Parts: sequence; C-alpha cells; structure tokens
Amino acid sequence: MALGAFAFSGCGEKEDGKASYALVTTGVDPFWDICKKGGEDAGVELGVDVEVLMPSNGDDQKSKLEDLLAKGVDGIAVAAIDPINQAGFFDEVAKNAMLITMDTDAPKTKRQVFVGMDNYDAGWMGGELVKEAIPDGGEVVLFIGRLEQDNAKRRRQGVIDCLLGREKDANRYDAPGQSQIGAKYTVLATLTDQFDRPKAKENVEDMLTKHENVAAMVGLFAYNPPAILEALKQAGKIGQVKVVGFDENPVTLQAIKDGSVHGTVVQDPYEYGYRSIKVLHALAKGDKSVIPENKKIEFPARQIRKDDVDAFWSDLNSKLGK
Amino acid sequence: MKKIKGILITMIVIYVATAILGENFLGGYNQGKLLERTGLYGLLAIGVAFVIITGGIDLSIGSVVCLVGCGVPWLVMRQGWSPGSAVAVAMVVALCVGLWHGFLITKLKLQPFVVTLCSLLIYRGATRGLAEDQSQGFGGEHEAFRQWGTEAIEVTHKFGIPYPFVILIVVAIIAWIFLNKTIWGRYLFALGNNEEAARLSGINTDRMVILSYVICSMLAALGGLLFILNGNSAQPSDFGNFYELYAIAAAVLGGCSLRGGEGTIVGVVIGTAVMQLLKNMINLVDWLKSHMEFLIVGIVLLVAVIADEIIKQRVRKLK
Amino acid sequence: MGEPFLEVQKITKRFPGVVALSGVDLQVYPAEILALIGENGAGKSTLMKILAGVQPADEGELLVEGKVVRFSGVQDAQKSGIALIHQELNLAENLTVAGNIFLGREPGKFGWIDQAVIQRESKRVLEMVGLEVSPETLLSELTLGKQQLVEIAKALSTDAKVIIMDEPTSSLSLRESERLFEVIHDLREKGVSVIYISHRLGEVKKLADRVVVFRDGENAGMLERNEVDHDSMVRMMVGRDISQFYQRTKHDLGEVILSVRGLRSVEHRGHELDFEVRAGEVVGVAGLIGAGRSEMLAALFGARPALGGHVSVAGQSGLPQSPRESLGRGLALVPEDRKGQGLILDMAVKENMSLASLRRDSKGPFLNTSKEEELVAEMTSALSVKTPGSWQLARFLSGGNQQKIVLAKWLALKPKVLLLDEPTRGIDIGAKEEIYLLMEKFAREGMAVLFVSSEMEEIMGMADRTLVMHEGRITGELAREDFSEEAIMELATGGNINKEE
Repeated sequence: MALGAFAFSGCGEKEDGKASYALVTTGVDPFWDICKKGGEDAGVELGVDVEVLMPSNGDDQKSKLEDLLAKGVDGIAVAAIDPINQAGFFDEVAKNAMLITMDTDAPKTKRQVFVGMDNYDAGWMGGELVKEAIPDGGEVVLFIGRLEQDNAKRRRQGVIDCLLGREKDANRYDAPGQSQIGAKYTVLATLTDQFDRPKAKENVEDMLTKHENVAAMVGLFAYNPPAILEALKQAGKIGQVKVVGFDENPVTLQAIKDGSVHGTVVQDPYEYGYRSIKVLHALAKGDKSVIPENKKIEFPARQIRKDDVDAFWSDLNSKLGK
Repeated sequence: MKKIKGILITMIVIYVATAILGENFLGGYNQGKLLERTGLYGLLAIGVAFVIITGGIDLSIGSVVCLVGCGVPWLVMRQGWSPGSAVAVAMVVALCVGLWHGFLITKLKLQPFVVTLCSLLIYRGATRGLAEDQSQGFGGEHEAFRQWGTEAIEVTHKFGIPYPFVILIVVAIIAWIFLNKTIWGRYLFALGNNEEAARLSGINTDRMVILSYVICSMLAALGGLLFILNGNSAQPSDFGNFYELYAIAAAVLGGCSLRGGEGTIVGVVIGTAVMQLLKNMINLVDWLKSHMEFLIVGIVLLVAVIADEIIKQRVRKLK
Repeated sequence: MGEPFLEVQKITKRFPGVVALSGVDLQVYPAEILALIGENGAGKSTLMKILAGVQPADEGELLVEGKVVRFSGVQDAQKSGIALIHQELNLAENLTVAGNIFLGREPGKFGWIDQAVIQRESKRVLEMVGLEVSPETLLSELTLGKQQLVEIAKALSTDAKVIIMDEPTSSLSLRESERLFEVIHDLREKGVSVIYISHRLGEVKKLADRVVVFRDGENAGMLERNEVDHDSMVRMMVGRDISQFYQRTKHDLGEVILSVRGLRSVEHRGHELDFEVRAGEVVGVAGLIGAGRSEMLAALFGARPALGGHVSVAGQSGLPQSPRESLGRGLALVPEDRKGQGLILDMAVKENMSLASLRRDSKGPFLNTSKEEELVAEMTSALSVKTPGSWQLARFLSGGNQQKIVLAKWLALKPKVLLLDEPTRGIDIGAKEEIYLLMEKFAREGMAVLFVSSEMEEIMGMADRTLVMHEGRITGELAREDFSEEAIMELATGGNINKEE
C-alpha cells in the first residue's frame, strides 16, 4: 500500500516542499557519526531533509529501508552489509526510490552510483603500514568485529595479500581459520569478537599468550586498535608489538601521536555522507552528469602516520564542528 | 562439596587439556588474565545466582552492565563529575533498578522473565540515548581510578592477582556467608523451593525476593564498572550484550537450578571459570577455531547439565 | 463366583533396599467391588501400578481371563480391560470433557479428529456414570467430584472391565462421595469390577463386596462382606488390636484464647464469622468441600489477608494481615496441602523444622546452628519422627512423618492456637493415631486446637465441639454429646438455614 502510494507520487516533494534523503549505515559506530555529520552538513547547505539511520544488523537494515520506503523519501544512500545476498532487495528498493550505495558497494544491483572507496585497497594500504612498522618481517595477527560483512572481508584480504606479496585480486578469499604464511610475513590468525569489546581485548590477550613472538597486530575495525593498545599496555608490551589500525578513533590517533601505533588507514566518512546527499539531490533534479563512467565516485583511503596525524586530526575536528 | 564435584572435575579436565594442547597456557600472564576475566564475569554470575535461587531470572544484567559501563565514563568525561560521585550515582541507580524489578515482580505479580526482558530493552535504549550512541571511555585519563580494573597484586614478575579477581573473592565470601550462615540465606533457599510454604512459615517472602533482585542489579553494576575500567571502551549499542546469558550459563553450570532453591557460590565461581577457560582454550589450541566458540560452550554446558540431572535422578532412585 | 477375570500369582517387586511386594496373590472376579486396604507402604499402590502396566513386576504372573499377559505399558493394560484412576486426577483442565475422555487416542485419521465419534461416544460413557454435562464443557468448570466421574467415563470409554480407583474420595465432599458410590454400584450392575483403594474404613464398609488387606508387602488376609467391620479391618491392617482409636480424656477447659469476631474472607466476602475457642479445647470444623472451611482458616491466619473483622489471641486483637504477624500473636496453621504449602520438600528435615523459629533463635542475622540442632533433636523425639537423620530431605519421608515435621515447625514456637486443615489426609492409620494422640496432648497442655476435617469419624472422634459450615457461613454448632452423622450432615447441607428461612 505504502509502496504503491509512493510510486504514484513520483519523486514527489513532501508536504512542506522540502526534498528528503536518507543515509543508512551498516551499524552504530563513531565512524558513522562522522558520515552523519557530512550528510547533515550537505542537507543544511542544500536546504533538504536528511535522515541518518544506523541499523544493528542486516535484518534491521532491511526493515529500516522498508520503513523509509513506507514513509516516502526521495532518495537513499545505503552502505551494503551483504552485497550479494541483499542484491534482490536493493533492486526492489531501487524501483521505489532513488538508490545509491556508499562505503560498501553492491555493484550487481540497480543502484545508480557508489560513493566510497574499495576496502580491498584500504586493506592493502594497511598492509603497507605493517611492512613499514616491521620491515624485517614477522608474525602478524588481525583483529576484526566480524567477517560476515563484505567490507570486512575485503579489507582483511587486502592486508593479507599485501603482506604476502601477492598480485592484487579483490575476489580472493582466505579462510579465517588458517595461517597465511609468506616469505617474510606470516598472518597467523584473524580473530573476531562480534562487536563485544571486552571480548576484543580478551582476543588480543590470548594471542599475546599464544604467540610470544608476534611482531605486529592490526585492528581492522575502528574499536580494535584501542582494544589492542589496552591489552598491550596491561601486558607491558607497548612498543614491543607494533600496531596498525584502521579508521580514526581518537584513542588510535592519540596513540599515533605518542608513537604506540605506527599508523592508521582512514577513509573519508564525512565526504561519503556529504557527497551522497549531494549526488542524491542532483539525481533528484534529473542531473545525471554526477554519475561517472564506471559508476563509482571514489575517495581513496589515506595512510596517517605520526608526521601527518596532527593535521588530519584538526581537519577532522573542524569538520565535526568541535 | 558434593554439589560442585561435577563442575570442579569439568574445570580440572579443561584446565589440564588446555595446558597440554594449548600454547603458553600455564604462563603467568595467561593465568593472571584468566583470573581477571573470572573476576569480571563472576560478579555478574553471583548476582544472577541470587535471583535464580529464588526461582526468578534477570535478563537485564547485560543492559545494566551497559548502563554503568557507559554511564560512569559519560559522567566523568562528558559531565566532569569526580569518579567517586559517578560510581556512587551508578550504584544508587542499580539499587533503584533492583528495587523496581522486585516491586513489579512481587507486588504486581509480573513474571520475572517479562519484567527483566523489558528492562533489557529499556536500559540499553536509555543508555544509547544518554550517550547519544557515542563510544564511552576514559581516554588516557583517570589512571588511578582505572587501576581498580587493571592492576594486580604482584606475586612474581609475570604473575599477579588482578584486582577484579580480588573483588570477586571478597564478594563471593560475603555472598557465601549470606547464603549459608544467615537466616536470610536460608529464607532465600526456602522460598525458592516453595514460596507458599515459606510465606506460611512467617517469612516475608516479598522482601527477600526484592532483596535478591537488588543484589543482582548491584553486582551487575559493579561488574559493568570494572569492565569499563578494565577495557576503557564501551559502545552503548553493544556493550554487555548477552552478558546475562553468560552469567546464567555460569550459574547453571555451577549447580543453580532454574526451578529455584538450589545453588552454591563456589559452584558459580567455578562455573564462571569454566566458561572463561573454554574461551581461552578455543583461542590457544590451534585446531579449535574461534567460530566454534558458541558451539563448544553450548555443548559443554549441555553435557554438564545432562550429567548433573542423571546423577540427581540416580540419587533420588537410590533413596 | 465363577472364574476370576483377573488373577495375580506370586507377584514380587523389589526396589533398592525394599521389597515392596513379596509373592502376592489376588483374584478379581467379574462384577465385584473389591476394596484394598492397608497402611501406606503396605504395597497397595505398587500392585495397582503393576496391574495398570505402569511398572513391571520382578517375579510372578498376571492372568486375564485365564491367559498370562505381560504389560509393557499403560496401553497394554487398557487393551486387556484394566484402567487405573490416580488419586491426583490426570486430567487437562483446559480441555473439554470430551477432549479429556479421548486425550491421547483421538479417533480419526492423519491428525484429523473425528468429532462425531467423539461426541457420540462421550455422551454414551457420560450417561453410564450419570453425569449430565455437555461433552463440550470445559473441565475446569466442573467440581472435583464431577471431574472424578469424567475420569471414570474415560476409563469406561476404553471398555475397561476392571477400574482401579486409588483414594477416589480423598478430595470429594460427602455428597459427591455418595454420588460416586452410586456410580460404582451401577458399574457393578453393568458387569464392571472396581478395585477400590481407600484409607476410609467407613466407605469401605459401606461399599465393598470383599476386602483384601495388605501389610508389609504381603496379602494379610481377606474379609467377606458379612465379616467386614471397623475393628477387624484395623486389626488386620496394623497387625494388632487398637482398642481405642480416638483417645480423648476429659479435662477442664481454660479461658477463651481465640476469639473471632466478624471475620470476612476474600472468598466469602458477604459472610461474617464469629466463634471462640478455649484453652484446652479441640474444636472440629465440618462441612462439604467448598463450604469455606479452609478459607476461614487461611483468613484467620492471614495467609490470605482477611477483608475485615477481629481475631484476638489471648487478648491481642487485630485484623489478620500476614502469616508472619499471626505467628507472632501465637497462631499456627498446618495447611491442608502438605507438599504444596506445609513443607519445603527439597530441604532437610532439620531446616523444615526450624524454619518458623529461625528468626527467634538467631544471633542477629546469623544462624545459631547449635540451637537449631537442639530444637530439632527435641522435636524429633517429642513427636517421634522417623527419619534416617535430620539431614534427610523432607521429600523422602512418609506422609505421616512429613505431617509431624510441619507440626514440629509450629510447636517450636509454642503457639497458643493450633489451626489444622485436614491433619490426617493421605497418611496411614498408624500415623493417624499418632497425630490424634498429639492433638490430645496439645489440648491437655492448654493449647486451643481448631481442626478442619472431611472425615466424619475424625470429627466425631476428636472434637469437643464442632462448627459446621455451609457456603461460607457457620450454620451451626454441636457439642460432643449432640454429635451424630445426621445432625452434622443436615447443617452441612444448609438444612438448618432452609428451615429458618
């Protein structure tokens, strides 16, 4: 009923005349708060309504998207959790509203464009940071929230492939149960914690117990580097074990300043949010020129090290209005 | 002693097996970490054991952990409170939470499952609102305060007894005395077995039930406090998720019957240790994969419960 | 008499540490009412479970119509025409009468239930037991007596030739019992045999064609209809003479200890109760099930807060609010449902005995275990509780000993008024006698005893005075010299009131 009503209203404006768009994330995280800020800033700039929804899992994402359709928004930018299996549903959504993807793409759907970067490449950059931190090679352990979501898989694969000196191939997948042994670097294991933070720390502790010679630890989700740091600190192993992080958790950034984290790979979630809304608004106005040939608007990830962390941090704070 | 024999043997078997199969299991660092985790999770398990002994259940523990684990750093870091007053407020809130649960269950006769299920949702939702879904932690500050969750009494260079474990032992001793040496403990067991008979014997059963929920919530709060002091990072949307189930599982492993009237504190502590040992084992033994965690914990729990029931039935038949 | 329908030959059944039945013989003839009596633990229930296929015998054989049968389950026994009706009815209160009759063997195919067959057959068997209710009535809407009849109808629908009834009247009122007896006679007319197990010798005398007595796992003898009398039954059951079962001695009554004025219970809010009990007096409360007797005791004790009125115990007066307050004033209640309300089954004898006096004997909040041990030792010997030790769980004791534990719990507080609700229900004759002796002793020591009983003999044997209740009010009061079954029944059925109106 709601779907039908929406179809008839075309890309109709809401009663107050303002266009409305939504950003749907993969979960709840400070990372997404930055994205939200970007989206909202764009909303203010364009004078449109922007709603940001943070679902707790894939099912929740589905129902949140359904709710948006029922409510009637003009366009949605969604971060795919499971691009392959969500494809059918995304196509359904695309029939009833303008749909683009951000952060994590779902290339085999009718989404109009993707705003973000390839997590495989970001992972690769993380791998490069590890190589810098332990140039003589050694054992590496990866920590991540969960591997079920596509961006996590690709990010992890990027790190592994880079460390093992393989050709770039974003579709490769090493099972998480096994160690990946390369000439110089060995990825011993990938531990998941299902977003349970005490468990994330316990995983680090257990790996410190099991692998006394571990040379570097990589935290693939935003909260993993702080968990690694906390465990290292309590074990008295700061500096002894090198840490490479992802994303821009303040604890991670501070640790880069202090030297206890070698570096982190950051995306530009602010830009994802900001640009998604702008693209949606342009498309709503019928301006197809915003869609590039390959249907991807890419913002490459960046490596942040000690020398550029200050600049990055103050820029981030200014975007967040802090 | 008889009641905890099974779980004690289980613990020893897992301990020895991990020592043989795992790497560096017996090292001082790992042993210290095991004690630390037993301390943290054990507080929740002792709390829920009180409620289970009365025949009730508390599903809101994880959310109380979240409320306190996010609330205390929020008060300290965002609102500028002193750690002492933040902890005091957290404990008062936990006290009120327990009183509220007890009131709904005894006076309005609502089912504990329903009451605490609603609470599970409410406290988590409230915390998310309060913290605006932002990660909470102490950054690099309040090191002295955080020591309660991170420090240890040094024994050797590599091994120390972590404060959380010391706190657990103190709480366990008080709980043991309460349950075994005071009339209130006797009353709790009596009403857990047969509330009506206990009431007709002149016991103020409502008051005892309320007390058990208060104890449970306050220990959950203490646990939540130590978790955040130890880990320094809490996300309102998932901090403490499912911890009530870990606590209930540990209590059941330790010999608490969900029908009420049964349970020992020593058993609950050992039950918690078994859960932590299992998690540790899965990470330390090469051929156990981390995705098997729930599978293995579930199977061990089930086997323990089945074995316990068989032994009980055999004893009953002999009599 | 012809050939027996069912014959038991040399049946033996052992449980760890106990021989429950040793070489028992028994015959059941077609169309007879065979009463089976004996103390608890004599082996009656075990034999009945073997007959009904609930458990197998270790040795010996069962013959049905001369052929050896082996039952591996209840259904086998049903097919051979034997049905058991448990003391606690096995009915689902949330189903209809018809649903209960056919529970577990619904006619029809592929999970589809043939309602027509159910209706027809239910009507037939309900008619046989003379129960005039629609098969569509919910069981929970029926009284206990009628539920019992449904259980019998259910047995009949399996074409039972022998129906075993285990203490069928234990929760029925007198009137309902009478109705049941009619049905049993009727069944006999229709060729069905009934094995009737009961502790109530009066009923047995009234009903049985033959009485078989069990003692210590053996068949202790048989009485033909013309030999059946109270004394000989008791003698065979306990293996000795009991010259005087109810021993009451004359002693002077003291002053009024319990005085009840205008008491209104939640269940019978329209009626006010007034009565007094004196020190040393034993007062019985008679009436039919549902007359409000248990409710009166509960209100008196504060088990369910009374709506209004005054209860004064030795001068202390007030509206009973909670058991805790009442026991502080010197009241004690031994409830009807021993397992559900009297005992903590999974706690030790010791812990049960000390439960009510724990607070008095504690040092601050801490248990005083030496005092507890003392108390338990004293009570165990004073009431001669038979238990392997005070650590034993209450669950594992016999009904009589369980009842003594409940009594001990209250005696530890030295109450001024002892309220007893069906004090001897479901306990064997030896233990009954002991309970009666204790009641007598308490009264002699100056306690006021008020007891509710559905056993006419008990009321007439034990009470100095009897209050009779009907539909929530006290319809009359009889002194010991005016006791008669007729007088009590008339008051219990409201006869007196009807006359007045």
